[in-house]
Amino acid sequence: MLILYAIIVGFIGGAAVSAGAARMYHIPQTQAMGAFRTLGELNACQGDKISHFSFGFGFLLNSAAAAVSTGALTQDVLHRVIPNFSAGILLFKNKSVEETLHNPYKMFIVGGFVGAIVMAFLVSLSRLVPTEVALIAKEILTPAANLMINPVMPIVFLLAALDAGKITGTWAVILGGLAHIIMGNGTPGIILGILIGQSIQDNKGLNKTTVIMIGISVILLVSIAYFRGIFSKIGF
Amino acid sequence: MQKQTLFLSNWIFPVLVGLLCAAIVGATSMYINFNIGALNEIFIVQLLDAGLKTGDYAAAAGFAAGFLIARVLEGPLVGLLDIGGALMTGVGIGIPAILLASGYMFLLQDFYISVGLGLLIGLLIGLIIIVIRKVIPEEGLSTSGTDIMMGAGNALGRFLGPLIILSAINYGMLTGLGAILGAGLFVYFKKSIIGGTILGAMIFGAIGIYI
Repeated sequence: MLILYAIIVGFIGGAAVSAGAARMYHIPQTQAMGAFRTLGELNACQGDKISHFSFGFGFLLNSAAAAVSTGALTQDVLHRVIPNFSAGILLFKNKSVEETLHNPYKMFIVGGFVGAIVMAFLVSLSRLVPTEVALIAKEILTPAANLMINPVMPIVFLLAALDAGKITGTWAVILGGLAHIIMGNGTPGIILGILIGQSIQDNKGLNKTTVIMIGISVILLVSIAYFRGIFSKIGF
Repeated sequence: MQKQTLFLSNWIFPVLVGLLCAAIVGATSMYINFNIGALNEIFIVQLLDAGLKTGDYAAAAGFAAGFLIARVLEGPLVGLLDIGGALMTGVGIGIPAILLASGYMFLLQDFYISVGLGLLIGLLIGLIIIVIRKVIPEEGLSTSGTDIMMGAGNALGRFLGPLIILSAINYGMLTGLGAILGAGLFVYFKKSIIGGTILGAMIFGAIGIYI
C-alpha cells in the first residue's frame, strides 16, 4: 500500500516538477516553477548526461540517508534528483538540450516515471533498515533538529534582518520578539518583519500592499495570542 | 511541437502547480500515517512532528505560512515560483499544520483526500499567480525581502550537518566516531556532510548493537 502511494506521489510530483523546470528556460515569457539554484545546477552540467546523473545521484544518497533515519525525504528529491535524472535520460536519446531539457512536454513524461521510481526506491529502502538502527538515527537527529528550530533558525533569520538595514532590523526584532513571546519561536515574526521592513525601505514609505501586510501580521499575532491564552496570562 | 506550445501556455501552469501540490500533500499524508515520505528537509518536518506530538502547531503554521505568502507574491514578479518555500514548506507543512490545529485530522489521514486537497490548493495558487501576472501592479511587496529570506534559508541549511555531528557525539562514543568518519569522507569527496554524518553514525551504531 505504501509503495503504491509512493508511486502515485512520485509520478504526479515528478511529472509536474520536471515540466516546471523545463519552463524555467522560457522565463520571462512563461511563468515557471522551480528554484534559481536548480536552474543554475541544470545549466552547470548542461548537455552532459553523465554530469546530470552523478549530480542527481549525490543528492539521492543524501535523501536516502534522511529517509532511512527520519522519514523526511528532503527537498532535494524534487529540486535536484528528479530534474537531473530526467534531463540525463532525455539526453541519452538526443544530445540537443533545446529539444530535450527545454521541452516541458518531454520532461513531463520522463519526469513522471523517474519520480515514481525514485519515490518507490526511497520508501522501500527505508523499510529495509532494522528498527533498532533507525531508532539510533532518530534519537541522534531529533536533538539536532530541535536545536535547528530553536535557537538556530530565529538567530540566522534575525542576523540576516539586522544586516539588511535599520528599518528591516527594527521590524524584525519587534515582530520576532512578539512572536517568541506568543508562540515560543520568533522565526515567523522575523520573516514578516523582513518582508514589511524591506517594502518600506524600498518604497521609501508605506504603500497599500505594505499596510495590508502589516494588518495581516497584526491579526495573525493577536489571534494566535488569543487562542493560546496569552491575554489571560497577562491579566486581561 | 504543438505539445510543447501547449505545455508552455499560461493556463496549464495552474494544472502543473496543482499536480505538484497534490504530490506534496499526499507525501505529507504518507508521513503522518506511516512516518515516511514527507518531501521536505529534516528540521522542517520536525516542526510538524513537534505539532503532532504536542498538539501545538503554531510554530509550523507560522513559519510555513510566512514562506507561502511571500513566495506566491514573488512568483509572478520574477517569473519563477519557488517550489521549496511556497509549495514544499508552505503547502506541504503550513496548510496541513493549520488543518491539524483546527481539528481536521481526517483530511490528512486519508491519502486520496489529501491528494485531492493538494490538487485544489495548487490549482488555486497557480490561478492566483497567473492573475497577478496579468495585472502586475506597479507597487507591490519588494522582492528584496524574499532575497534576504532565501539567503537566510540557505545559510540555515549549513547548520544541520555540524549539529548532527555534535548530537551523534553526545549520543555515544561509537556513533560519534562514525559520524566524524562519515562526515570526513563526504567532505573529501565533496558531498554534503549531512548524508555522510547520518550514515556513519548509523553504521557504527549498528555495529555497537550487533557485535
